[in-house]
Amino acid sequence: MITCDEFFAEFGDYLENRVPPEVRQELELHLSQCRACHVLYDSTRKTVRIVMDSSSFELPKDIADSITDRVMAKIRKQSF
Amino acid sequence: MSFFREVQLDDSFGPFVALKERYGFIPNLIRAQTLAPRLIEAYEKFESIALVTENALSRIQKERIVLIVAAAFQDAYTVAARAAILRSLDLSEIQIDQLLGDFRGAGLSTPDIALLDFCFKLGMNGTSIDSKDIEGLRSIGYDDGSILEAVLACALTRFFSALSAGLGPDPDFEPQKLPAPVAVQKAFPPASHLHGKKGPYIRTTYQSPRTFAPFANFLKGHGFIPNLYRAQTLRPDIVEDESASIGKILMGGKALTRAQTESIFVVASSTILNTYCVAAHCNILRRYGLSPEEADQIAFDHRQSNLPEQDKIMLDFTVKLASRPFEVCLADVQKLRDSGFTDEQVLDCVALTACSNFLNIIRLGLGVEPDFELPPGFEQNKVHLPGTEARLTKDDAVIPISAAAAGDSDAGLVADAQAGNLDAFEELIRRHNSMLYRTLMAILGNPEEAQDAMQDALLSAFKHIAGFQGRSKFSTWLVSIARNTALQRLRSRKNMESLDEPAGDEEEFRPRQLRAWQDDPEQAHSKEEIRQIVERGIMGLPAKYRIAVMLRDIEQLPTEEVARQLGLSVPALKTRVLRGRLMLRESLAPHFTADAERAAV
Repeated sequence: MITCDEFFAEFGDYLENRVPPEVRQELELHLSQCRACHVLYDSTRKTVRIVMDSSSFELPKDIADSITDRVMAKIRKQSF
Repeated sequence: MSFFREVQLDDSFGPFVALKERYGFIPNLIRAQTLAPRLIEAYEKFESIALVTENALSRIQKERIVLIVAAAFQDAYTVAARAAILRSLDLSEIQIDQLLGDFRGAGLSTPDIALLDFCFKLGMNGTSIDSKDIEGLRSIGYDDGSILEAVLACALTRFFSALSAGLGPDPDFEPQKLPAPVAVQKAFPPASHLHGKKGPYIRTTYQSPRTFAPFANFLKGHGFIPNLYRAQTLRPDIVEDESASIGKILMGGKALTRAQTESIFVVASSTILNTYCVAAHCNILRRYGLSPEEADQIAFDHRQSNLPEQDKIMLDFTVKLASRPFEVCLADVQKLRDSGFTDEQVLDCVALTACSNFLNIIRLGLGVEPDFELPPGFEQNKVHLPGTEARLTKDDAVIPISAAAAGDSDAGLVADAQAGNLDAFEELIRRHNSMLYRTLMAILGNPEEAQDAMQDALLSAFKHIAGFQGRSKFSTWLVSIARNTALQRLRSRKNMESLDEPAGDEEEFRPRQLRAWQDDPEQAHSKEEIRQIVERGIMGLPAKYRIAVMLRDIEQLPTEEVARQLGLSVPALKTRVLRGRLMLRESLAPHFTADAERAAV
């Protein structure tokens, strides 16, 4: 079985589902037998999911509108 | 003897000794390279793995492949040289003439003919190969090891042919009569790649990037393991020697700068439609200080790039050698000398072109998946016909302005805004301000500043909208303005957070927090709580990781696009994204681990 270091070397691509089949097979065998790497994989995968679904950094509508209004006011002033 | 002066090499020079033993003399093709001994080392190794070492296929089977593919390419030097070897392996003059005339009628066994048919097709037009060709070989008894060796022999032939064209060696033997040139496109239409299976076509084995030296080197040097070598892991010995030789040619020289070397390699690859190497090495060029756009421009048309004129002359030569090899003559080499290039530099250029030819056959023969996306606008499977200028060009690939506009729902408003309609502009920015804000937050990491920068960006967009030509979507253009505005602000900060660092400088980040997470971590918190946790976590990241995670996981842009936007190579970006995600994981953990759940209960 591959070592934790070997697992970690391919970890980023594995998260992105971008490893070739022969590598995937080794990684999954390792995951099934190494608790530490399994926790790492599971929690990182969940981190990405949580971040993606979090709707973070939406600009509140009132702020967006006020910025747009300010910008348009400047532009309209310049245009006359 | 050749286009290049020969210098005396030490009698004990290893590759020389091996070659002398192999042939009984030193062929002119080798003598032509004595100014650059490392090229001879690479040559000897290639020949040894692809031809001499007998494993699945016999030497005679492999020599037949080289003879036939070289003849199809009208490479008189290589044909004469290989015919001499076949004679030494006890083939008669008549048998050799039959092979050159029509190998299907030369009295070979059916499997032998099938193997030659495959190599002929691969050598002449590799884009016509698909998984069914490989299955065909398997069905008549060839194992994957034999198929790999056949592909290598074929690849080596293309390597030889580029060398003999660019080095101009006098023949070592009486020339053989060459067959008439074949009409390639008619004979081998490109495979559609819709019916065959995805590659790699042959079996692969797992090799550890920790213990298998070539993979360790790739990770260290380039940040990724090329699929081209993964596809050959059935024979780790081959991967080892092949990658070492390629490394010698690409990285071992001192005559050209690294950027010159990579430019030549990219241009040669583009010319022979080696899309695999174009994608990989456009990325590598980014590591030598070129922007993604500059790197792509070299691949598309170096003449339009910002390279010095002298470099362009070398690249003109590269295009000729790659597309019309047997028109190359001493005058071409002389022109390079007159432009100030040394013979060592020209030799490197020839070897680099040969190298790209070699790798192109391997990736086509084994169905190697690209490591990276091609620069936008490149077509994947154009056919390269020997003797023609086939270069991947942007001309037919550039999206016509009207077509880009047609796919953009903003096109109508953009046209109105460009005509001076302020209401149209207002509508455009209302549509996109949320996305702009996220981009600005990603870079600046501070809501007030992001809002400030947003005003600047919108005003700048208004100022420049007349110049927007519709080559990309309006939203892409708008985001790029926002990004530049934000990066300018960031760079002018007093305590500037470091965004750039030399490649390979990212020390390894090992996660510490290793407690299991809840099965359904989202369940324990409200949406609003989660949003706050995530935003705090992301804002706590150092700038370069924050930007990578924001663009990748919040904006959810594809890896290649984020790399391009940030001017990074794809491997460098991937490293940042992973590290950012792992750091974020540490800061999220206290809220989502299983013990946190118990504590809450």
